[in-house]
Amino acid sequence: MKKIDKAVADAYFNKRVRNIVVYLTLWFIVSFGVVMFAQPLSNFTVNGMPFHYFMGAQGSLIVFIILLFVNAIQSDKIDKEFGIDEDENERLSSGKSIDH
Amino acid sequence: MDLQFMTSLGLIIASFALYIGIAIYNRAKQTSDFYVASRGVPPVWNGMAIAGDWMSAASFIGMAGTVMILGYDGLAYIMGWTGGYLLLTFLLAPQLRKYGRYTVPEFIGDRFDSHTARLIAAIGTMIISFVYIIGQLSGAGVVLGRLFEIPSAVGTIIGVVIITIYATFGGMKGITWTQVAQYLVLIVAYLIPVIFMSLQITSNPLPWMSYGEVVSKMGEIDRDLGISEFFAPFASSDKTQFIALMFCLMAGTAALPHVIVRFYTVSTMKAARWSGAWALLFICLLYLSAPAYAAFSRFILLTQVAGRPFTDLPAWTESWIDTGRLKLADLNNDGILQWNEIQISNDIVVMATPEIAELGVFVIGLVAAGAMAAALSTAGGLLIAISSSFAHDIYYRLLNPQASERKRLLVARISIAVATVVAGIVALDPPGVITQIVAWAFSLAAATFFPVLFLGVWWKRCNAQGAIAGMISGMLVSGSYIIAARYFDFSLFGIIDTGAGLFGAPVCLLVTYVVSKMTPPPAQRLQEEVMDLRYPEQMTFKDGEVWMDEPSK
Repeated sequence: MKKIDKAVADAYFNKRVRNIVVYLTLWFIVSFGVVMFAQPLSNFTVNGMPFHYFMGAQGSLIVFIILLFVNAIQSDKIDKEFGIDEDENERLSSGKSIDH
Repeated sequence: MDLQFMTSLGLIIASFALYIGIAIYNRAKQTSDFYVASRGVPPVWNGMAIAGDWMSAASFIGMAGTVMILGYDGLAYIMGWTGGYLLLTFLLAPQLRKYGRYTVPEFIGDRFDSHTARLIAAIGTMIISFVYIIGQLSGAGVVLGRLFEIPSAVGTIIGVVIITIYATFGGMKGITWTQVAQYLVLIVAYLIPVIFMSLQITSNPLPWMSYGEVVSKMGEIDRDLGISEFFAPFASSDKTQFIALMFCLMAGTAALPHVIVRFYTVSTMKAARWSGAWALLFICLLYLSAPAYAAFSRFILLTQVAGRPFTDLPAWTESWIDTGRLKLADLNNDGILQWNEIQISNDIVVMATPEIAELGVFVIGLVAAGAMAAALSTAGGLLIAISSSFAHDIYYRLLNPQASERKRLLVARISIAVATVVAGIVALDPPGVITQIVAWAFSLAAATFFPVLFLGVWWKRCNAQGAIAGMISGMLVSGSYIIAARYFDFSLFGIIDTGAGLFGAPVCLLVTYVVSKMTPPPAQRLQEEVMDLRYPEQMTFKDGEVWMDEPSK
């Protein structure tokens, strides 16, 4: 065990939180935002459907999937930047999960 | 005993044999490494297991029908049930994984160091899972009712017997790989008919690309018929209801006890993030297809069934009328079936569409097997949530800490059997359609658990008194709103029963916050544990300092 500077640990946490805030803002816009303005947005067509319908049936889902994968990749990058070793994580967390 | 019946039954039995075989195979293998506590299921496979566990009879049987009948307003279910995974993966799953407890009541009991909080969380888990399971049994009833051409209620009884046997004997161990198999069966069964219908109607094998033109064509037909367009926003419910429902399904998804459990079978926080991403990808294969299913079947009904004389209706109509879920009545006595004379239950659309589109006995049988897989895999997960809440959190941790392993297992099995039978009795005469019943479970989860889990993970000052007051008030507000809206025509801002969580969740959040602030802070040890959840496994928070583990090699 090696003590690390609190500022470094805080920087890790802040970076993760900042990303999550961005992702959740986008999440809010493509779901709740589009629903709130469904009527004016229905005037143009994407993939053969009015835009509000397209977003509900396809568009927002695709954005959701992309956000989740972007989060996974970005978080891995941040871990790497701070020298986190996934093998070590695995070793440390084994025994903390219960089999079922 | 016609060919269709034999094919459907054969496929259902074959798929069941597969699940039981996988469960037995995994159990045998696991005995040897039983004490290696870390399972380390790879994220891709765990994502599939989450998808199988998650997609219930409501997703498989109910959702396309709901979109078909509600049009745009049904899409609240599609966005709500997928968008919740972002809340879950960003805000809860990795932190709960690092905390390393097995069930939601266990997390709440230990995080707040309070047996009262544990008890309330266990009761909440049981109530939510119980409501959810009514929807599953009612779904199994629809499938089996059609198969044997009997009323759905009798089908439900058969379903209860099958699920009780399956869950008490097969469902206790090795469930991950069974759920992977169930996912594969249900997704294949869902995609094949929708691809064939796409070929039939638009000559394009990719329904996701082709159904847009069908949607716009239906808009024209609707205008000619003088009914509101299929895609018109908020034609069958208020905008506030749409938003409320979407919110409840999202927050509920993030807080469903039986889904959260699945994030404990991966090895690390990183694996939890990847599991969430893969899970949503696999889930969206079905959720992107459901609106296509809805569009195609509505199109076929509009153009090929409506307008026919009553004496010349296709054969499939008769068997569905027998189940009590399809009603065709000649309201104006002209001998012709009109669009407004068709009353079709949301719950039979997916099951009936392959017949409507004349896709052949094999596809129809496959859909029946897929629907059973969906109902079964979710029912299995729910029953385990119920039994572990009762046998582990209430019986073992609170009532009888000296109980032997055997006695706890017995209590778990009895609670599974009792829960299934009681839920089965309620499902005989379901209090709503499947998606609606399931939405109640989500509203309750959103109001009882989401704010408490969120604050418990991110706010160290949150204490037991706050959590207890929050869970109770959220559950009461949501529960009474559902009952008042469903049975006494009560509504606020146009929000009906399925959107009840929009009131319950903020009340829960506020009460948890205010009561926590008014009462003493939690012990130093608990606050440090919460701080620790901010960092990956390799960093540890202790005495106000952060420590990093050096790799041992």
